[in-house]
Amino acid sequence: MVRRVGSIYPVAKRTEMVGFRAALVGRLCLFGPIEIGGFVFRRLLIANRGEIALRIARGCRELGVEPVMIYSEADRGAPWLEEAAQAVCVGPARAAASYLDQDAVLQAAEQADCQAVHPGYGFLAENALFAARCAQQGLTWVGPPAAAIRAMGDKAEAKKSIAAAGLPTIPGSADVLSGVDEARRLAAKVGYPVLLKATAGGGGKGMRRCDSEDEIDSAYAEASMEAGKAFGNASLYLEKLILGGRHIEFQLLCDGFGNGLHLGERECSIQRQHQKLVEEAPSPVMSSEVREKMGRKVARALSKLGYRNAGTVEFLRDRDGKFYFMEVNTRLQVEHPVTEMWTGLDLVARQLQIAANCPLDLKQSEVQFQGHAIEFRINAEDPDQGFRPDPGEIVRFRAPEVSRAGARVRWDSAVREGYRIPPNYDSMIGKLIVHAADREAAIEAGREALSSLVLDGVKTTIPFHLWLLSDPGFRSGEYNIDHLADLGPLRTGESGPVGGSA
Amino acid sequence: MAKVILQSIGSDRAEFLSDDLWRRQLEHCGELTGALQAKRDEVRAGWGKKYEDRVHAKGKLTTWERIEQLKDDDSPILPVGTLVNYGLDFGGRGSPGAGVVTAFIRVHGLWVVVIVNDNTVASGSWWPQTPEKIQRAQEIALRLRLPVIYLVDCSGLYLPEQSRTFPGRTGAGAIFRMNSLLSAAGVPQIAGVHGDCIAGGGYMPIISDVVYMTEQAYMVIAGAALIKGAKSSHITSLTIGGPDVHVHLSRCADHRVPDDTVLLRRVREEIARLPGPAWDYYRFGAEAAQPRLPAVELNGLFPQDHRMGYDVRQVLARLVDDSLFWEIFPDHGHEMVCGVGRLNGLYAGFVANNPALTDHPVDPGVKRPGGILYRDGIAKISQFSRACNDDGIPLIWLQDISGFDIGVEAEKQGLLGYGSNLIYTNSTNDVPMFTVLLRKGSGAGYYAMAGLPYAPLLQLATPYTRLAVMEGRTLSIGAFNTKLDDNFNIATSDEQEAEKVRKGMQQVEQRIENDMDPVRAAAIRDIDEIVSPQELRVYLEAAVSMAYQAIGYRRVKNPRIWSLHDLRVLTG
Repeated sequence: MVRRVGSIYPVAKRTEMVGFRAALVGRLCLFGPIEIGGFVFRRLLIANRGEIALRIARGCRELGVEPVMIYSEADRGAPWLEEAAQAVCVGPARAAASYLDQDAVLQAAEQADCQAVHPGYGFLAENALFAARCAQQGLTWVGPPAAAIRAMGDKAEAKKSIAAAGLPTIPGSADVLSGVDEARRLAAKVGYPVLLKATAGGGGKGMRRCDSEDEIDSAYAEASMEAGKAFGNASLYLEKLILGGRHIEFQLLCDGFGNGLHLGERECSIQRQHQKLVEEAPSPVMSSEVREKMGRKVARALSKLGYRNAGTVEFLRDRDGKFYFMEVNTRLQVEHPVTEMWTGLDLVARQLQIAANCPLDLKQSEVQFQGHAIEFRINAEDPDQGFRPDPGEIVRFRAPEVSRAGARVRWDSAVREGYRIPPNYDSMIGKLIVHAADREAAIEAGREALSSLVLDGVKTTIPFHLWLLSDPGFRSGEYNIDHLADLGPLRTGESGPVGGSA
Repeated sequence: MAKVILQSIGSDRAEFLSDDLWRRQLEHCGELTGALQAKRDEVRAGWGKKYEDRVHAKGKLTTWERIEQLKDDDSPILPVGTLVNYGLDFGGRGSPGAGVVTAFIRVHGLWVVVIVNDNTVASGSWWPQTPEKIQRAQEIALRLRLPVIYLVDCSGLYLPEQSRTFPGRTGAGAIFRMNSLLSAAGVPQIAGVHGDCIAGGGYMPIISDVVYMTEQAYMVIAGAALIKGAKSSHITSLTIGGPDVHVHLSRCADHRVPDDTVLLRRVREEIARLPGPAWDYYRFGAEAAQPRLPAVELNGLFPQDHRMGYDVRQVLARLVDDSLFWEIFPDHGHEMVCGVGRLNGLYAGFVANNPALTDHPVDPGVKRPGGILYRDGIAKISQFSRACNDDGIPLIWLQDISGFDIGVEAEKQGLLGYGSNLIYTNSTNDVPMFTVLLRKGSGAGYYAMAGLPYAPLLQLATPYTRLAVMEGRTLSIGAFNTKLDDNFNIATSDEQEAEKVRKGMQQVEQRIENDMDPVRAAAIRDIDEIVSPQELRVYLEAAVSMAYQAIGYRRVKNPRIWSLHDLRVLTG
């Protein structure tokens, strides 16, 4: 039951779904594995749901690979499943019992005769054990090898190997602190303010900020006590606190033959409680010289570490323009369309190509950056109520469009009119990406596209985005990861969005 | 579809073991392994500091220093036979480790067997059981085609005990026989001669492919001590058998080197000339990984009381890569667990007793103790053992076995027949087998599950091991059978007589209890090595790696054509 690609995307005037596909397929056909009759994989299991499942399915179809999808009982009959050659139910609504149930997902891959697995993002995407199990079972894993996922998943280890590969990391202790004296000595060396963090930590527990030497004794005692209580492990490490930093990440592609490419950066500093809301490329503060220098360095480092497939290296950039490594995301990112629009490359197709063990047929000098792209995450959340999730039925839907010359809009989503968003999973409805000649034009195109997008029935983040586009801070490009927090609670208001306290 | 589908096994410790019990079991294990470590340290110290200083004064390295320099920096030293001769007395002297260290180490990434005379124990001379200990290491090397490195520093037999080391079937001469067999099988042997090498000590290095001598080394059929007039004409062993003679005149050695350190470097370079390990090839695309559930938790899994059960799947989960396992015949013989997992990315078959209470196969709701061989379990492991042998999958036996089921039902079912079938299988297997006595190894169960008489390549034990034909209490009942009634109570009204029987039974029980101590078994080589529970992973990982290191000498089927798949089809 092969269905026509794009059947659930409402095709609107001047709306491009996924860019530059035709050109890429033309190129991929130039070498071995893709011949008439299909790609090396006949069928691929997509271990995900929603818009990313659809995105990957479309990537598969382009290469002649049949996409197989999995779904939970909550997603039975969901619109994106219509794009699948076959869909297999893997369990009840609870993610732990369905999308995260490795046995069930692997069983589905066997049952549907798949040769490869694409995990998308979230769920099992960065699970080294699952990647290893796929490989063990003879399923090609569309992503980095399990060992790379494991190595990059351990934050301390990742930091060490990245530092060894010659990239700058946040100054601080190389290992667990031996005591408060070592903390004091290190803090004096790296300079205040510093952060004391629990090695076993997470969720902000066992973490203390120290602005001066006077505070370090009490901060150390509190943090280690809290860590001991919360995680049963009181050990701490110390890091310099980077204030007013910007979240800038590099998109990388590495093949199995030691070739590593960077596809430029993405600026993801518009965040709310570590959740990215808007991403753009290029970053307003990145010069092309720095991009080339950093990008090549990162690509070299990653391929030297034996990394393979698509990956993202996240940095914090301080006010002085210095970059500090944060972490490596060993998966396709939510915001990958920004890079696709900016470079004209198809990342999913590239991922499949690398997974099939084809060499990258692209040189760094051939990666062209054009114009400016911005992505807006449209979530079923109420920005006026602290972004509280608001699942429910979409009673009216109209796809976004732009009429400005030279501007394009892409709508990555798997919803349609009458679709009921289940409360069990994350609240993203879709991603709206605009591309135009420069940042200003892209902002205007974004305003037009956001205004034309209709999603009635649930509260969405559209008003927030419209407000953001008129925020002087954002418009000037002078913002950092604390930008939204600094503005206090948000009100989008009646007569157009405004910022300010409640 | 002939795929090997491994599934997650085991669960987080907190889910099945309360914090309190966990802590107590961990403490208990700490006491046991602490005692074990003390014994290891004692053996490693040899005859002590004085003898160590004497070695250093000669400008030589001690045995352990040599091994440290020989191995790769990231390689562990995995000794075998550490406790041989432990606690045994030879005319008022002990012989720690029987005066020789035999161990597995990695050199240039390859596992090799090293056999190093302990020059801090009677100048490396051979004690009772020394020849057998050396032969055991050679046997493992021969069966797995592992390169052997001899570092010789040996003044010959410890003469006062010659009657126990010279003439017998496994006397010193059998070492040279093994040298020859290794050579005949094409197993690389490299010898370094560091010092004395008298009589027997002389034959051992010569059969090796390459022989290095330091300037302090000599090899002689008989030393100057036995040559008439040697003293007056200033003849020393070095002048009659040193490198001047053997490297240049007799050609009994190949190279001379100034000292120990250079010798060890040159031996390492020899190993680098050999082909590397075949592991990556035999991983069939998989990667090596640590268990998801940490192996260190093995230390707290065993109950303090040996009569209590535990879930052996939790043990398996902490031994295999990624804690992934393909259990075979899970619906039959619940008192046994068998299946396939990976170690260092390489496939191994596991057969384990499950000492927890298990379901009766026929009576629903009835539970019976595990750790016993019942008919279904015997049939299951016998078939699994045959299949692994057929498929070339190395077998690991995890024993915690009290014995075969006994009684009317057992005999009617013909357990003697099923058991013999299993014994036949294991006796004729040629796949590498490794046996671990997790706890009990008793009765014919110890035999049937590839105990030492069935020629496993290694028999490991833990500090929890109890090795004896039966528990002391049972044995005393057997011995005093005629004096007991139906309920095994003493059947006499004569108080004096009863007291005699009670005392006698106690004595027997105590004697067996002492015999069950794994240290005793290790002292007489009934156990190759006692390791702490957490070390099991390291030893087994090495063992399986060694089984896949060399190519071309044993059957290794690719997983597509395993006969195990047939079993899966037939059992649904």
